[in-house]
Amino acid sequence: MNTRFSLVLVDIDPERAEALAAEAEYDLRAHERIMSRFDNEGPVAELNRCAAESAITPSHELWEILSLCRDYWQRTRGAFDITLWPLNHLWREHLKRGEEPTEQAIAQARRQTGFERLHFDETARTVRFESEGISIDLGGFGKGFALESLAGSLRAQGVEQAFLSFGESSITVLGSHPHGPAWPVGITSMFNPSQTVHAFHLRDASLSSSGTAPFNRMAGPRPFGQIIDPRSGRPVEGYRTMSVASPSAIEAEVLSTALLVTPRQDRAELLSGFSIISAVEIVYHSSAGEFAPSIEWQYGS
Amino acid sequence: MDPDSSSSSSVLIGRQHRRDFLKRLALVAGSSSLLAELPWWSPLRAAPVGDSPADRVRIGLIGVGSRGSLHLAHLLRTPGVEIAALCDDYEPHLQAGLARVKGAKGFADYRQMLDMPGLDGVLIATPLYLHSRMCLDAFSAGKHVFCEKSLAYTIEECQAIADAHRGSNKVFQIGHQRMFSPVFLRALDLIRSGHIGQITQIRAYWHRNGNWRRPVPDPSLERRFNWRLYRAYSCGLMTELASHHMQVANWFLGAHPVACAGYGSINYWKDGREVYDNVNLVYRYADGTQVVYDSMISNKFYGMEVQIMGPKGTIEAERGRLYAENPPPAPGIMQLINGIEHGFFDTVPIGGPSWVPDLKNDAKGEPLVNEKITDDGTAIELAAYANSIRLGKPIPEMMEQACRAGVCVLMGETAMEQQKEIAWPEGFRI
Repeated sequence: MNTRFSLVLVDIDPERAEALAAEAEYDLRAHERIMSRFDNEGPVAELNRCAAESAITPSHELWEILSLCRDYWQRTRGAFDITLWPLNHLWREHLKRGEEPTEQAIAQARRQTGFERLHFDETARTVRFESEGISIDLGGFGKGFALESLAGSLRAQGVEQAFLSFGESSITVLGSHPHGPAWPVGITSMFNPSQTVHAFHLRDASLSSSGTAPFNRMAGPRPFGQIIDPRSGRPVEGYRTMSVASPSAIEAEVLSTALLVTPRQDRAELLSGFSIISAVEIVYHSSAGEFAPSIEWQYGS
Repeated sequence: MDPDSSSSSSVLIGRQHRRDFLKRLALVAGSSSLLAELPWWSPLRAAPVGDSPADRVRIGLIGVGSRGSLHLAHLLRTPGVEIAALCDDYEPHLQAGLARVKGAKGFADYRQMLDMPGLDGVLIATPLYLHSRMCLDAFSAGKHVFCEKSLAYTIEECQAIADAHRGSNKVFQIGHQRMFSPVFLRALDLIRSGHIGQITQIRAYWHRNGNWRRPVPDPSLERRFNWRLYRAYSCGLMTELASHHMQVANWFLGAHPVACAGYGSINYWKDGREVYDNVNLVYRYADGTQVVYDSMISNKFYGMEVQIMGPKGTIEAERGRLYAENPPPAPGIMQLINGIEHGFFDTVPIGGPSWVPDLKNDAKGEPLVNEKITDDGTAIELAAYANSIRLGKPIPEMMEQACRAGVCVLMGETAMEQQKEIAWPEGFRI
């Protein structure tokens, strides 16, 4: 998943901790094999390569994952979408050179995106892509899915306190911090790591953050992020992050991107269908050459 | 581009190219503070070679077979080197060599070559059993000597070469090119700065899958071409391969072993050869460190490597990677762990979304050197040899390194042949 996984276990026999860590690594690698689009031999690459030509029967696990992604796509009214790769790729390639893609290029990429272009046959359990060029990417889903599954297996083995983290952007905690009532996690300013902008107090919960980052801060005054708004086909602008705390790692993961691309006035309604604990949007405004964070939208406790 | 081609401008470009290349390598290795104290690097810090005849060193090659012709190719591209003579008692090799060097004199007998006026130094790339007599004759003829590894066929011969060199004020260079490899230098630098902790074991191996034979144009030439397979000329895997990694082990440990034991046999290539096709040894050092070495030529799955191990990490020097035993956690996680251990209830600071994917994969280790380096040290060691001849100053410590490694592999060979522990030769003097 192209990031570092950390597992902190508390007050535990070292040998048992080693065994749990080894098992976690084994499970993570198994998840990665299923969900990575970069593994040319993997099932996602196969789907991306072949599903436009003929219907593909994914493995049981991948079918379940794709079905979950479809549910979340529907429940977020299209804000969460695993088919945005062609747009993402287009923008990334242009922004690297400090350019914007043409309207025609954007329109062309949009014809290759949209979850509705994936056709599911429930009876045959097959998936077919509507046309060439469609490409799925489980990057905004996989970490949450893996965390949920790992947390479940740790709990089943009697682990009551643990801190699980994927590159600190996706976190799941079990129980509470050994010296307090919850695990306190602070979101620091992306321009000043010593400044905590907001703190979450997590107990048996997950936290996921998504955000826009400039591809190249030197390239120009207008920052562009890696979050594509599926409804406009354009990246979310400005420096902003969305952090979501939820009892479910998958929902935290899905909603951190979905909320970022959903207009503020529509967010509460979107969230009514979910059981999230809280969410915070931090926006960075430039003044006198410095970027200062401000919390511009907040939900829940 | 072939810098050996006939047009003089291409020779110049070739040499300029080579100079830049050497400069770049020196920069890579020079980023290490270690080099300030690494004695044998000193000739390479000398002023750049000019094009005047006075700057040229005249070298004669003894042996232009497989290794010798590789050296020839390197020397042709080494700034300030004139290949004045080639010697080989196998006429086709000699003629092939002469065809590549315009104006070089050819000899079948190295003693005649040593009599040639104006020759500064020799490069000996001949079968092991010939090394000592050629080194001794070259020193008596007042020549500088580059000798291919391993140093010599017996411990007594190693001693004789060291004795002849002592006080000669001649340059001596041994073909253990890892001493000049930026990757190995970086490895030593990391070891000295504590990245793996105390060296507690070195494990080295060299595995190939093949009969280790060279094609022989005529059956009468079998023993001359395949000298590595016959005990009268070589100690097989020990002198021809193990000497490299034993040199590295002695270098990194800063010592020679006090004893060794092991077993060897011919268990697969039963084709009339006389040297072992698999060797397995343990070397004991005075400080309690052991070096475990094995080599075989009937399986190549593990290839070759020298693994330097300590409580904090492992270095695989051939692959050029460092593996931490306990990779440091991410900063936020580190703070969390410290807090838990010290009874604090602190907020775990995290940076929000991970902006840049953290590509560091601890299972794959970290590269020792980031630049792509194609030279394994051979080009630099030849440049060092040429420079020190030009400067008229011997390269420090080369004889120590050559003797330690050379004696070490002969101890191993004897241990296996006699099936008993063999001690470092008391009174060996370098």
